Amino acid sequence: MGCVECRDLLSALVDDELPQDERAEVRAHLANCADCAREHDILAATSRRIREGVVRHQAPDVLKARIRSMLSQPDAFAPVAEAPPAGRPRWTMLAAAGLVIAVASSALTYGALRRGTSPDGTTVALLDSHIRSLMPGHMIDVPSSNQHTVKPWFNGRVDLSPAVPNLDSAGYPLLGGRLDYVAGRAVAVVVYGRRQHVINVYSWPGEPADTPRSGMLDEKGYHLLEWRNGDVEMWAVSDLNRGELQQFVRAFQAAAR
Amino acid sequence: MPQRDVERFERVVLPHLDDAYTLARYLLRDEHDAQDAVQDAVLRALRYFDSYREGDARAWLLAIVRNCCLSWHRRQRLARASVPLADADSVDIGPGREADARAIARSERAAIERAIAALPSEFREVIVLREVQELSYREISDVVGAPIGTVMSRLSRARKRLADALGVGVEEVG
Repeated sequence: MGCVECRDLLSALVDDELPQDERAEVRAHLANCADCAREHDILAATSRRIREGVVRHQAPDVLKARIRSMLSQPDAFAPVAEAPPAGRPRWTMLAAAGLVIAVASSALTYGALRRGTSPDGTTVALLDSHIRSLMPGHMIDVPSSNQHTVKPWFNGRVDLSPAVPNLDSAGYPLLGGRLDYVAGRAVAVVVYGRRQHVINVYSWPGEPADTPRSGMLDEKGYHLLEWRNGDVEMWAVSDLNRGELQQFVRAFQAAAR
Repeated sequence: MPQRDVERFERVVLPHLDDAYTLARYLLRDEHDAQDAVQDAVLRALRYFDSYREGDARAWLLAIVRNCCLSWHRRQRLARASVPLADADSVDIGPGREADARAIARSERAAIERAIAALPSEFREVIVLREVQELSYREISDVVGAPIGTVMSRLSRARKRLADALGVGVEEVG
């Protein structure tokens, strides 16, 4: 075996991927050729060094949560090219989901209207929207943890460019964004996660006549927090507890500044 | 898809999420893009789960991840002017006592990450599949869709570049 042929096989020798006869030939050559032997040692040392020092990443919890949520969607397993299978299971699932939404939203509407802490059409619609977003497949139109993917997605879809701060380091991973329709207007919704909880952040252009306001509503374990960011009307809705949602909004306001 | 298939998918595919994410991190060199690509890959994997027969689920998933990364990269190249390089944390090591073992290990990791990030993508993928995922040549050939001989020569050339970048010379060859 000559040097040229030997060099081609050195990496495979390092990886123990040579058939026995070739391995014997390469080894025989290495025993008599200092240059090829040095080349072999360099390749072997490089491989060893990479294996010892290379970073092996772990899938982040956010990614696992996103995948779990995806797997729980009833249409996740639908083959791409086929029409959705007609039949009872799918129909019953949709009907059941609809029923849950109807029951949940009427209960909430009732509760919210009873409170007298100024629940109006908007808060009722926000609660409905938040709960609908928790139904499989309704949360996110643009799934991405990258603010530079989510923010431009809203271009041309709503009348403003919503704030999409990166809150990873504060413990609120970005899950994505969606378009929603709340109390008669298209709104931008940016979705963040906190452990197993979801935070929907709504924005739409505020009415100039409106007085800037901020406040908090609690309803059936859900919390709604309202504030103004310049001309933009903002709401955060979540089942996080009150204090945690306030913390989130403070982090959001600080980062969006 | 029946519930037992969903469970089978979770059992067969989900244990390899770390490997899938690691491959995507090295191929895309951005943690957010890697997350998106892996999510995309898992979605595709479950839609094509019928086509998965018994065999190495890890190599099967990694092949899908690799394809998702390639198409992701093409889309992003169009959308963005440039792709940010790896956030390999470059560590300044002070002289003397400050250069403790941990700092050295950190700077070694950063050096390796930079060296891998600097490889052309067809070299980078075979290096990661071999040195990180420890796939066989046959499996790498299946994942990247190239003949075994091509895999062998790419690995060989990739290692030479890494040896140069990391300064692996005769001195430290044991």
